[in-house]
Amino acid sequence: MTRRLATLVSIAVVVAVLCLLPFILSDYNVGLVAQVGIFYIAVLGLDILTGYAGQISIGHGAFMMIGGYTTAVMSRDHHTNLIVTMLMAFAICFVVGVLLGLPALRLSGPYLALATFAFAVSVPQLPLEWSKFLGGRDGVETSQTVSNSWLYGVAWAASAILLVLAWLILRGRIGRAFRAVRDSEIAAVASGVELPVYKTLAFGISAAFCGVAGSLFVLATNGFAEPSEFGILLSLEILIGAAVAGLGSLWGILAGAAFVGLLPNVSSSVPVIGSTHGQDVVFGAAVILVMLLLPGGAAGLIARLTGARA
Amino acid sequence: MGVSRRTLGALFCALLVTAAVTSAAAASHTGTPGVSKNKITIGGTFPFTGPASLYATIPAAEQAYYAYVNAHGGVNHRKIDDIALDDGYDPSKTVPQTKKLVEQDHVFAVVGSLGTAPILSTWKYLNQKKIPQVLVATGDAYWGQCVHKAAPACGGKAKPWTMGWQPDYPGEAKVYAKYILNNKPNAKIGVLYQNDAYGQNYLNGLKTGLGAHKDQIVDAESYSVGDSAQVIGTHVAVLRAHGADTFVIFATPTPTIQALVARTLIGWSPLTLVNNVSANRLFLLSAAKNGASVDGVISSTYTASPTTQASLKGMKLATKIIQATGNQNLEQSLALGDGNIIYGLASAWTFVDALQHAGKNPTRASLMKALRKLNESGKNANPFIYPGMTVKTSKSRTFPMEQLKLIRWSGGKGGDWHSFGKLYTGIH
Amino acid sequence: MATAETSRLGGPRNRGAALGGVVSPVALVLVACAVGLLVGCLRSSLFAQLTVQGLALGSVYGSLALALVLVYRATRIVNFAQGELAMLTTYIAYQLIQWGLSYWEAFFATLAIAFVLGTVLEVTLIRPVLHRSTIAAVIVTVGLFILIDGVVNWIWGGAFRYMPSPFGTKVYRVGEVSISRLYPGMFVVVLISVVLVWALFRFTKLGLGMRAAAVRPAASALVGVRVDRMLAIGWGLAAVLGAVAGLMAEPSQFFLEPTLMQPILVYAFAAAALGGLESPGGAVVGGLIIGVALNLVVEYVPAISTELQLPFAFAVILAVLLVKPSGLFGRREVRRV
Repeated sequence: MTRRLATLVSIAVVVAVLCLLPFILSDYNVGLVAQVGIFYIAVLGLDILTGYAGQISIGHGAFMMIGGYTTAVMSRDHHTNLIVTMLMAFAICFVVGVLLGLPALRLSGPYLALATFAFAVSVPQLPLEWSKFLGGRDGVETSQTVSNSWLYGVAWAASAILLVLAWLILRGRIGRAFRAVRDSEIAAVASGVELPVYKTLAFGISAAFCGVAGSLFVLATNGFAEPSEFGILLSLEILIGAAVAGLGSLWGILAGAAFVGLLPNVSSSVPVIGSTHGQDVVFGAAVILVMLLLPGGAAGLIARLTGARA
Repeated sequence: MGVSRRTLGALFCALLVTAAVTSAAAASHTGTPGVSKNKITIGGTFPFTGPASLYATIPAAEQAYYAYVNAHGGVNHRKIDDIALDDGYDPSKTVPQTKKLVEQDHVFAVVGSLGTAPILSTWKYLNQKKIPQVLVATGDAYWGQCVHKAAPACGGKAKPWTMGWQPDYPGEAKVYAKYILNNKPNAKIGVLYQNDAYGQNYLNGLKTGLGAHKDQIVDAESYSVGDSAQVIGTHVAVLRAHGADTFVIFATPTPTIQALVARTLIGWSPLTLVNNVSANRLFLLSAAKNGASVDGVISSTYTASPTTQASLKGMKLATKIIQATGNQNLEQSLALGDGNIIYGLASAWTFVDALQHAGKNPTRASLMKALRKLNESGKNANPFIYPGMTVKTSKSRTFPMEQLKLIRWSGGKGGDWHSFGKLYTGIH
Repeated sequence: MATAETSRLGGPRNRGAALGGVVSPVALVLVACAVGLLVGCLRSSLFAQLTVQGLALGSVYGSLALALVLVYRATRIVNFAQGELAMLTTYIAYQLIQWGLSYWEAFFATLAIAFVLGTVLEVTLIRPVLHRSTIAAVIVTVGLFILIDGVVNWIWGGAFRYMPSPFGTKVYRVGEVSISRLYPGMFVVVLISVVLVWALFRFTKLGLGMRAAAVRPAASALVGVRVDRMLAIGWGLAAVLGAVAGLMAEPSQFFLEPTLMQPILVYAFAAAALGGLESPGGAVVGGLIIGVALNLVVEYVPAISTELQLPFAFAVILAVLLVKPSGLFGRREVRRV
């Protein structure tokens, strides 16, 4: 009983702070915290796939790209309401995710990682090829831009909604099936879990989440969807965020999202090394340090500190 | 157990709030942003890293010029502080960096930002906020075309707060077209160009300049930013296979060098023309070192040469300014003929010229007004520009520089560019 | 996670038997392709040009892919920083040349430095994390990727550096084809280093120990193999191969920039996946295949433009993996309950 109360209180505190921040912070910093919200959604999505269903992916930046382009193209050509485009991104990425999950049924471990990596580096090439429709290197621009406050509100509202959705999915039969697949595929099959269904479902759900994150990401970039925004580094950042968060738990995601959302921006003002290179050096070193000290991520730390099961 | 979690949550939030409050404290501002009693803060985005990092000496030279001006009292007793941020020639990084300059550093103006795609990704934002985005280091025609007009190419709305500086790319390409038609009328032209607005500006200009002869372009190969030398080499081989005997390269420095070398490695020696932003002496020397035969390559210029025109007052001043920085790499680079340094000095000179005419207490509007009334000619000529050329703007003239001089390389591995022929004016 | 162990027994006899059943069809196809290439070269000079260039660059992909395979065999993770490490060692060579060493002196000194760097990284950064979490170790390599890129930009800056070409700039004329001395040079150097590594594994006690430690760490420890040491040496050798890849890649890109290895790493991953992460030979062959195939496909198949080169390469590899999930030369994974 006490644990449930503590959980609710912690959540209430976080929600309260998030509601207060836009009134205390400068506009620029509101934009930064909105970025954290965007990464929250992406890291949450990847955690479902990699942490709960045990399927590694270094390609989820590509789903962000698909979602982002959906928003950009629909807004450019049809002036669709931006929230509606986010729902479209969710749906489209779900389908693409399921499709990507199909070949993933045959692959495992590093080969799956490499296949998703291949997906991540290939998708940004497509707009360069079909440049008439997808804008080529110059990208696609939405017909309207949004303020930092809009981004903040929508990103965190979406995060909350998707967190609840994730929680509902994971606590039920689907979540149990995912965990079974992660822990031992053979045992799962023996227990009657249809691998193809749950593996592709995991891909689909995580892709859908990243699609929404991608829509917001494009809006945060002045409404521009360009291939260069969605390089392999983005997929790696989502993975780093998930690892720092602690795979297989919903607790540390805020820490993981804050890590990849804030650290690169903050570290660019490192005095000794200089703003042009300090960013990479500090971020890279921070990633290494966090993994050395906390291989279980923030969730692992929280679990250890509170003595609870992760 | 429950208590620990609550404490943890509370601690975390306390940290967040503290961070928020301290950052908010630094956020207030009054008056014209970026202008204080003794300082003017400007900023720009540049490719210090990434595929266009060969341009990094431009912001270094600009900052050197501002340091020189500051050492001589600044402008109206205000020192110029230039914040140069790295965007890696990547428009998706240009956006957050530009936002940082505007929303966190509160710059007076965004000056000298480099790159076509980077500018295109931020010009709507800056124009919406009425922030000067001036003297951008790219020659796209948009910067001159979109000042008053709301043409579709301009994204539907006029962009009066954005301004270019250097001679525009389509104009330059038209000059090359004229040269080819006059000197090699039956040329079979092969073009290598970057597959974005930057490259297309050039290619379209070339086609317009060729007019009825544009089918003399036997093949045009496009490459993507970041493509390896391997890919560039393949494109070069394909152009030769199409029978081209004239090779026009509209690329950024790295692929240009790679293309120059590749064509020699496959034993091809066409008449070669190179765009002026990739015709820095250093780049040609590098190509030559790698085995490219560079004699006879043609390009154009609008700045003075620190090597062949070293006796000019402006070039002597350039050496003095760069020496004052104490940056040995920069000095060596200038001594070898790094045209980017002269470019940076010239562009910064124009900014200071405009700032001096923007009134005792400049505002963003007064800066733009001064920039739209430039008259750098005669006694007030820009010392770093090619002698005789002018930098002028007016209500009808939105392209500050409209002149080019053709140059040709001679002297092989240790050679240099030498200007020849007439002065092309009114190029676009 | 249920990582499978391959049912492999050491020794040439068994390996030969296993190879016989799995490799033959693949080997036949490869031989057929090689013949096809030869015919094409004789008929078209452009074809020959592209093939020679493809083989040279393919050897660089193969060298880096081999480094990835060595790391994978030793520590069961994919080292994302392999390319940047190779780039770093190339910059170190550049610096040594600036300080007065001749090209080949710097070359061999760099290989030694690379070996030390590789072993140190394994011991300090990978080993402490590997036991606790594989994914954490992979993330460490990602962090290393970012860190090295930042450090190189910081120390040497983003501007390009010139390194003397080890093979000069002479161009040979074979009929219609112009082949720069660079291309056979690259190919030969990589070939020599790969053969040396193969010889190490095949004929020396150290190599035997490394193979044993990779396949059966517990059993090898029982017979006196210093498993930890073998893993560190594996990383050291991988770093050496990476250094060779970087040093051979630099002249082909004409100058040294921090982005040197980034396009190559992507194709090295492709080569390793194609050949099989368990197979050193497969990695090298995979690299050559990719190098040649990409060049030829982009030229002769108009539907595949250079923009589609990467997606095409990966689509093909995905297709191969679906048929042979452990790569062309990898062994079938046997899952044990």
